[in-house]
Amino acid sequence: MKAIKKPHLVEWLNRVAQAYDLLGPVLDGVVQFKRVKSTNQLVFDYPNSVVPPKNLFLPQTECLFAFRREGGSIILEPAGGLERERVLFGIRPCDAKSLLLLDKLFNRDLVDTYYQEKRRGTTLVGLACPSPPQRTCFCTSLGIDPLSPEGVDILLADLSDRYLVEVTTERGEALLGFSRELFLPSAGEEKPRREKEKSLEGIEEKIDSLWEDDYWRELSRRCLGCGVCTYLCPTCRCFDLTDVGSTLGGGRFRCWDSCIFADFTHMASGVNPRPTGKERVRQRYFDKFRYIPEEYGVLGCVGCGRCSRYCPVAIDTRTVINEIIARSTK
Amino acid sequence: MSSNIYLPHLATITEIEPQTPDTMIFRVVLEDSTLAQSFIYRPGQFAELSIFGVGECPISIASTPTRKGSLEFCVRAVGQVTNALHELDVGSKIGIRGPYGNSFPLFDLEGRNLLFIGGGIGLAPLRSLINYVLDNRDHYGEVELIYGARTPQELVFKEELRLWGEQEGATVYLTVDRGDERWKGPVGFVPSFLREIAPSPENKVAFTCGPPIMIKLVMEALEEMGFPPDRIVTTLEMKMKCGVGKCGRCNIGSRYVCRDGPVFTFEELKMLPGELEF
Repeated sequence: MKAIKKPHLVEWLNRVAQAYDLLGPVLDGVVQFKRVKSTNQLVFDYPNSVVPPKNLFLPQTECLFAFRREGGSIILEPAGGLERERVLFGIRPCDAKSLLLLDKLFNRDLVDTYYQEKRRGTTLVGLACPSPPQRTCFCTSLGIDPLSPEGVDILLADLSDRYLVEVTTERGEALLGFSRELFLPSAGEEKPRREKEKSLEGIEEKIDSLWEDDYWRELSRRCLGCGVCTYLCPTCRCFDLTDVGSTLGGGRFRCWDSCIFADFTHMASGVNPRPTGKERVRQRYFDKFRYIPEEYGVLGCVGCGRCSRYCPVAIDTRTVINEIIARSTK
Repeated sequence: MSSNIYLPHLATITEIEPQTPDTMIFRVVLEDSTLAQSFIYRPGQFAELSIFGVGECPISIASTPTRKGSLEFCVRAVGQVTNALHELDVGSKIGIRGPYGNSFPLFDLEGRNLLFIGGGIGLAPLRSLINYVLDNRDHYGEVELIYGARTPQELVFKEELRLWGEQEGATVYLTVDRGDERWKGPVGFVPSFLREIAPSPENKVAFTCGPPIMIKLVMEALEEMGFPPDRIVTTLEMKMKCGVGKCGRCNIGSRYVCRDGPVFTFEELKMLPGELEF
């Protein structure tokens, strides 16, 4: 284990920023992960970003290719990739964990090269979570450690005057090489410990017994269908493909979409297999706690709490989970 | 470097054959001849068709891989892309991604009798398998087709329906929901017509495609007639965008219709949550 004094961290990041595009938490109205031109823009004392850093890998809108008619034919030009390798500073352990799940989804069978290229081209420097957590945080209930280096190349943990530095990959090691002299052997300091609860054992079977339960209808009566829970969810990745321009020229874009939106599954034939809020709300929770665990062996929720924090009608995922457990017959 | 799964291949419409007032067959050839050679598909798969500037939509491949040359898509004008497609002329360029999805279970069919039950444009994916089977006639037993549409003029592939019926060991039964002055055949919905004909389930696999309600009633009827659920096969329609299991909208439970389907047996559907009311 190594340590770096707080004033030296910026020094190191400045050198990193000369070789990489540096992305990090910036206070721009709200805290958000953005590319910074100077480390002065970074904030170090923040609970988490409003929009999860998934948007750096799956942008809210992204041009996949441009097209234009030329003579009798059509020219297709795929969008260019990253100009420079990137370093993302300040990602929290829950969000890092979410990227590991998105990797599985986007790399399954046919690889999504747009996502994969951004992932491969980005080194992650994580920041362990401060204590106490935000009132909406519940990662520990899902067995996630808010001080874990899982999924990042380097994890920094705040020890008031210095950061404890945990390097887990060769890429992380290479990043340290920009200012090796600033990283000192740690004086045996240890990361603070957080208790994991893992209280959601068997949630897959529990929710499965509630397919016909009236709870989804009750919940959907409150839900406005705004979709903020999905846009701000670090594991939500549904998207739409849509053409912008005309048949003469334009681009095909990928844009975030949401299973909470009424027309998400509405077919041209007029059929909609999820015609009311009940089916749509149920789909969201079944995806997180039933389908993703079945397919990928992990829960589809990382406990970041953004959905609960920003829901305009105060639907709290922790309450939903408790209801699932309480109503379940299993 | 993996290939770009969202980038369509350019293709040219070589022939357009009107079928009904709102349905046409499009014959399409990929521009790149190497790609055309490597576009290997199985009956039951689908492709994403692009009209650049309008969008993309999934359409089942109605041709059979046993007949090389062009890909065929039987398209009803119902949405933005399909309506735009109907505006195009021979020579127009479109985009194609695919082939996607699983396919009909070809290897389990050898030596079996086959029953096809179609409704409206639902005959399109079945047609791929019917022609595949008829092109490999020796490998399969008796072939029956029960097909219906709302009106006589909405029956698709009329010429082929006649040719299929003339083949040795093949029978074609047609019905319409509403007849007209020239229609001499039976009148009635496909599921009840199926019960009237009552085909024997002996060594037989049944394939059905059509409107969702028809599929549901047909599968129930087949099961009552003694077809085991693993020998009742259907192909489903669901809202799709990417076609490759990424965009997250065509799932029934944890199964994605684009990736794990569109072909499912009744047995498989019974294991899934009741999203389609099957």
